[in-house]
Amino acid sequence: MKIVVTVKQVAALDDEFELLGDGSGVHPDSVELELNEWDAFSLEAALQLRERAGSDDEVVVVTVGGTESEETLVGCLAKGADRALRIWDSSLQGADVLVVARVLAAVVAHEAPDLVLCGVQSSDAVNGATGMALAGYLEMPHVAVVKALDYDPAGSVATVRRELEGGLVEVLRVGTPALLTIQTGINEPRYANLRAIKQASAKPLEVRTLAELGLDAAKVSMAAGSRRRKLRHPDAGGGAEMLDGSPSDVAARIVELVRERMTG
Amino acid sequence: MSHRDPRYDVLFEQVAIGPKTLRNRFIQVQHCVGAGSDRPGFQARFRSTKAEGGWAAVFTESCTIAPEADYAPFVAARLWDEGDVRNLSLMCDEVHEHGALAGVGLAYGPMTQAGTNETRLAPSNVSSTSNPHLSGTAGGLWCVDRHDIRRIRQLYVDAAMRAVRAGFDIVEVNLSHTSSILVRFVVPMYNQRTDEYGGSLENRTRFAREVLDDIRTKVGDQCAISVRWGIDTLDETPWGFAGRGVRADGDGVGLIADLDDLVDYWNLNVGTVAHWGEDAGPAKTHPENHQARYTQLAKQVTNKPVVNVGRFTNPDTMVKVIESGQCDLIGAARPSIADPFIPRKIDEGRPEDIRECIGCNMCASRWEMRGPALVCTQNATSAEEFRRGWHPERFDAAANRANDVVVIGAGPAGMECAIVLAKRGMRRVHLVEAESEMGGTMRWITQLPGLGAWGRIVSWRAIQMQKLSKSLTFVPRTRLTTDDVLDYGAELVVVATGSSWAADGRSGFNPDGISGVDAVAQDWALTPEQIMVDGQQPVGNSVIVYDGDGYFMAHELAEKLAREGRSVTYVTPFPTVAPYTEYTLEQPRVIAGLRELGVTFRTQAVLVDADGSQATLTDSVTAVTQAVPCDTLVLVTQRNSHDSLFRELRDRPDRLQDAGIAGLYHIGDCVQPSFIAQAIFSGHRLGREIDSPDPSVALPFIRERRIIGGSDDDYELGSAAISAGEVVPLTMELGGGGLADQV
Amino acid sequence: MSGVLVVVETRRGELREVSLELVRAALGVKDSCGGRVLVAVLDHDPERFVRALSAEGVDEILLVYTPTEHFEAHVSQKALEELIDAERPGLVVLGHTINSLGFAPAVAARLGLGFASDVSSLWSAGGPMVSRGAYGDKLVAELEFPGKDCTLVMLRAGTFEPAAAGAQPVRARTVELALDGVAATEHVGFEEVQDTGVDITKAPFLVSIGRGVEDKDEIPRFEALAERLGGTLSVSRPLVDAGWVPSARQVGQSGKTVKPRVYLALGISGAVQHLAGMRTAETIIAVNTDPEAPIFGVAHYGAVADLFEVTDELERALD
Repeated sequence: MKIVVTVKQVAALDDEFELLGDGSGVHPDSVELELNEWDAFSLEAALQLRERAGSDDEVVVVTVGGTESEETLVGCLAKGADRALRIWDSSLQGADVLVVARVLAAVVAHEAPDLVLCGVQSSDAVNGATGMALAGYLEMPHVAVVKALDYDPAGSVATVRRELEGGLVEVLRVGTPALLTIQTGINEPRYANLRAIKQASAKPLEVRTLAELGLDAAKVSMAAGSRRRKLRHPDAGGGAEMLDGSPSDVAARIVELVRERMTG
Repeated sequence: MSHRDPRYDVLFEQVAIGPKTLRNRFIQVQHCVGAGSDRPGFQARFRSTKAEGGWAAVFTESCTIAPEADYAPFVAARLWDEGDVRNLSLMCDEVHEHGALAGVGLAYGPMTQAGTNETRLAPSNVSSTSNPHLSGTAGGLWCVDRHDIRRIRQLYVDAAMRAVRAGFDIVEVNLSHTSSILVRFVVPMYNQRTDEYGGSLENRTRFAREVLDDIRTKVGDQCAISVRWGIDTLDETPWGFAGRGVRADGDGVGLIADLDDLVDYWNLNVGTVAHWGEDAGPAKTHPENHQARYTQLAKQVTNKPVVNVGRFTNPDTMVKVIESGQCDLIGAARPSIADPFIPRKIDEGRPEDIRECIGCNMCASRWEMRGPALVCTQNATSAEEFRRGWHPERFDAAANRANDVVVIGAGPAGMECAIVLAKRGMRRVHLVEAESEMGGTMRWITQLPGLGAWGRIVSWRAIQMQKLSKSLTFVPRTRLTTDDVLDYGAELVVVATGSSWAADGRSGFNPDGISGVDAVAQDWALTPEQIMVDGQQPVGNSVIVYDGDGYFMAHELAEKLAREGRSVTYVTPFPTVAPYTEYTLEQPRVIAGLRELGVTFRTQAVLVDADGSQATLTDSVTAVTQAVPCDTLVLVTQRNSHDSLFRELRDRPDRLQDAGIAGLYHIGDCVQPSFIAQAIFSGHRLGREIDSPDPSVALPFIRERRIIGGSDDDYELGSAAISAGEVVPLTMELGGGGLADQV
Repeated sequence: MSGVLVVVETRRGELREVSLELVRAALGVKDSCGGRVLVAVLDHDPERFVRALSAEGVDEILLVYTPTEHFEAHVSQKALEELIDAERPGLVVLGHTINSLGFAPAVAARLGLGFASDVSSLWSAGGPMVSRGAYGDKLVAELEFPGKDCTLVMLRAGTFEPAAAGAQPVRARTVELALDGVAATEHVGFEEVQDTGVDITKAPFLVSIGRGVEDKDEIPRFEALAERLGGTLSVSRPLVDAGWVPSARQVGQSGKTVKPRVYLALGISGAVQHLAGMRTAETIIAVNTDPEAPIFGVAHYGAVADLFEVTDELERALD
């Protein structure tokens, strides 16, 4: 059995971040990098499946990122992933979700895994789309927002529970190979001890360019779904919209607002 | 470094006081520390650290003006002679170096000292009945006459001149806590005179007015003059003078109006000397800004700046009391101990870094013990700034930082140690915890009545750990066995596995445990953990809480169970209820609070056996035994360390070596269960000294003492050299405590 | 390719509120996009929603009959691909919902569309433009879609006003799609989720109380209010400090960071440390007697009022 786990090193803005004057981005010093929270859960799901299955099974982590993302990959190797792949090309700077998915599709196609696990979303871009776009490119069966997973590699069927709004859960079966996007809370991600951290550097971490994946950089760029024109601060709140009137007016409006926002 | 939030700009406005100017509105008011004038290094560095932390003015503790004015064994500062001038000038110089003003609080008294052979003077022969330690005599007092008054006035002036020579910018005359002779003239309780110094308020303030006038005439152009005034003696409570005291809306503001032209600003508080715990109110019973309703009256009668105290830790509260006109200056004692850098942290836009006072009064308890330096639960560097060279905000890089550390147990000791290690640049620090959250026993101690604020111990450290997340990883839900530790991959191992309460009732009072009792097997015998963590309920009706510990755990559980409707008897072998709370100033309210809930007390009673329906008590004085009803017995006797992990590891040095573990240490309760302050200190010390030759033994510290044939430099003898972050132990053939053993 | 195709969402026989917001958003760019506004309903019985969707400006409502009552991702995916192929819209608008996340990005990928999700504003300037959060909503990114004939956008719920039904029902047309034989998942059933204890970070709606609640005995009342409103009770630090509430419910820098759909703050002034824990909530409603309270600086809606008076009225309104 082989499981590919896509991971992302996300950028968290620290409290005193600086926006570049021309709106093209943030100052690099403003950013703290860490493993996307959702990916810790999907990696843990993969590791647990491997532990249940057997020793000749493989968990491969893949990311699209520059050299700074290797720290995150090493962390995944320390937790127990067998192999890590980093794909990068200068043309991928600022790549949008569809481009990333396109690149990952080439990797996954080559790896031919039984399962592809992705996080539901990343905490910085919050597209929630990479996994599904990847499934689209691969034309692979897919389920989004999985909160429980039961997989028997021998039977090539996974039974999953999908989280819906309002506390409802749907139970589905999906034939593998399949792609699942994993929701936080599905398990308790493990921590690597110091020995594993130290030994992770001995595990294979390969770097591939687009060419090595058989992809044409120009064509890949065309897959982009959007282009960022600029980055700016949010509107200064405009301040709060003040609710006038008596306490009963205020209460009525609050009930209305809550109903509006919660049933959307 | 970001700029401060404009909301807090008002706190950084300058305020003029006489010939001096405060650079902002933060004043560290007089508070005891255990330094006095005899440990000038300690005094200077303790105070100047706060000056560096941004306070506009820092004060000594109460400073007596002459031998007869002293109140040993309590440690006060002194300005009796030229030697004291020299010693305190060190404080002034260091404080000035950091741009703050230095203040001294001149006092004659408290008037009922027990530790000297001096004559005790008073306005009238009314001896203090309130506190046996302070009265200490069955005798009476010498009623001063005009001759004495003139003499004492001279003592004050001489002391003020010494203060100016030492470099002080502010001379504050103490009229608070009903302690000094001047305030005893003001308080009707103590002043039954019929001459011009007794009777009307004007007469009762005459002595103080004369002293202030003298001082102002002599030095008022060179320094600011203030009065520390206890504006209310809380006569509506059991801890006042029942109508013979001072009321804020009466003589409280009356005195301010009377003496206003003689002072440059007012420093206000409340309470009597016997109950100064109403001033230094613990968090459990006194919320932040608890003195407001008394002190806010002052601004009605004066335009001079007014300082308030009230355990201010929240910058928003500080802004509120300034902008509402309640006061002009934020005074703090305990919050400045917990964090000497409060003003700077606000100024630098990082109020979340403020290490908030939890109102436990451990600091006060050390002073009440008459002698030792203060300690602070939250701030382990408090009182160690000079003698160990620990700066609260600076940590030098560890010489052995190219190592990984695993700290086992995220209670107060483990958290503190991990943070210090990370700040000192250890390559990787893993803080491993068996439960899902950090905090150790703090997680449930904060659920005890009124102890919620103690949770700041954990919340501050949680925030600091977030900021250190590059090298410090918190690993929850992981219980390590000996093999796990050996396999963990750390070169340095710190065990901080804590302790738990004895299930057999064992303590020095019951060395073999309590006969018939085993909380593990019996549902009627309960340990604190069984109640607070497991949620076990008492059975039956009568509950005995047996206190062999003497601090908060027993009385808190008694309160909790009483509030839940149980019939509770507090039983202790000690002579008083919760004896340590006398030192933390909490005891009167502890006892009153329990009484109100219907709790009954048996002191000097050793509980020798129990069977689930009754218990046998033996009076420790008369040896008379008595059977009492006891359906549930709550055991608060002693704690046992969780030391097995450390001992197993230490017993196999060969396995440690094979695992590449170069250092194995233990800290906190798992060494010796004690105060939270001690656990945090122990973790902090190990972190500071992780690169010393033998970190398991504390490095020697500077003991300020006279050494025969010694020079100034010889102060350092027997201590680690404290300069520029270098740690170099000295070896000496002459004994002298705490030398490192070379292993 | 021109015009806008809106794909609305239903659940258990009801039109989800975001659907009407999508219609409004589409109508907002109708003129600049040129072409028509089509609204597609994928449902077991789509006809029942025609009236509600008949906003003025909608040109046609497309009825797609799905084989099952419940949502199936592969069915929606196939349906959307076929609709795009048939109607050739320039802009496709869906809600950013759990259901849409299950298929819309796959469609965008497969068909090579322009794409943006979790969008909070939509306009046209020589082509569709959107803005969405960046770095977890700390910043805003403006996106364009150069060279794309068709762009698919997923709109965040609650950022557009819902469109109201017009006077006349809009023409509805059934669209036959070949939806069989695309099974990739098998629906087994539904389950109600078990409550495993309070995790305020997972709660979509938090009712939060602070210093304004001065009495421990008041807390059960607010817990009940939260429940009646459909939310979860959370608190600011002073109530945890006072020992009245366990720290699991604490929002703030030293407690939990939450990002619910709705954060209703009653009697919370908004100390810096508290704001750090909740300021990115999607909709913040604050009630406080102090008009200068910092919480109003991050709230979307505010009322200078007494929290107990408002609470009394909330309880009355819910009766």
